Amino acid sequence: MPPRPRHASPRRFANPLHGVDHVDYKDVRLLRTFISDRGKIRSRRVTRVTARQQRLIARAIKNAREMALLPYPSQAPGIPRGKDRD
Amino acid sequence: MRRYEVMVILDPSLDERTVSPSLEQFLGVVRNDGGSVEKVDVWGKRRLAYDIAKNAEGIYAVIDLTATPATVKELDRQLNLTEAVLRTKVLRPEVH
Repeated sequence: MPPRPRHASPRRFANPLHGVDHVDYKDVRLLRTFISDRGKIRSRRVTRVTARQQRLIARAIKNAREMALLPYPSQAPGIPRGKDRD
Repeated sequence: MRRYEVMVILDPSLDERTVSPSLEQFLGVVRNDGGSVEKVDVWGKRRLAYDIAKNAEGIYAVIDLTATPATVKELDRQLNLTEAVLRTKVLRPEVH
């Protein structure tokens, strides 16, 4: 049996940043695509963006959180901690 | 002189029509110190992602300006001394 390619699964998210070198913290619609429904920032494994883009996204999300444009991560009630992997 | 972007969240109980004039008053400090105000964009009332000082909404305004670092610092200080200002953020668009 041939070995399976390492990244055989289709991308969960198409990368909406094509060579973008600037991420605006005011662009809430774009940033929302990079957070989970709990408000956590999605990992690079999921977002498939470059390391540089991930840093820009993370910084923009954190700035947006400070200005109440995006929520801080919240724990849904009734679900024990540490079980949430997204 | 540097370009700055200042975002302000104001108390939602303010009348939105008075927001622009009252911001202008604050921006006097920029003009007096030789800076210039390029744009004042009042977004209007917007739902906050979480409550700030027991407010669920806020009036957002984004100001683009050119000034010295000391001037912006003073502007930010004066804004934050005002009760009607819930939160501010000063950014340099070139580096962010």
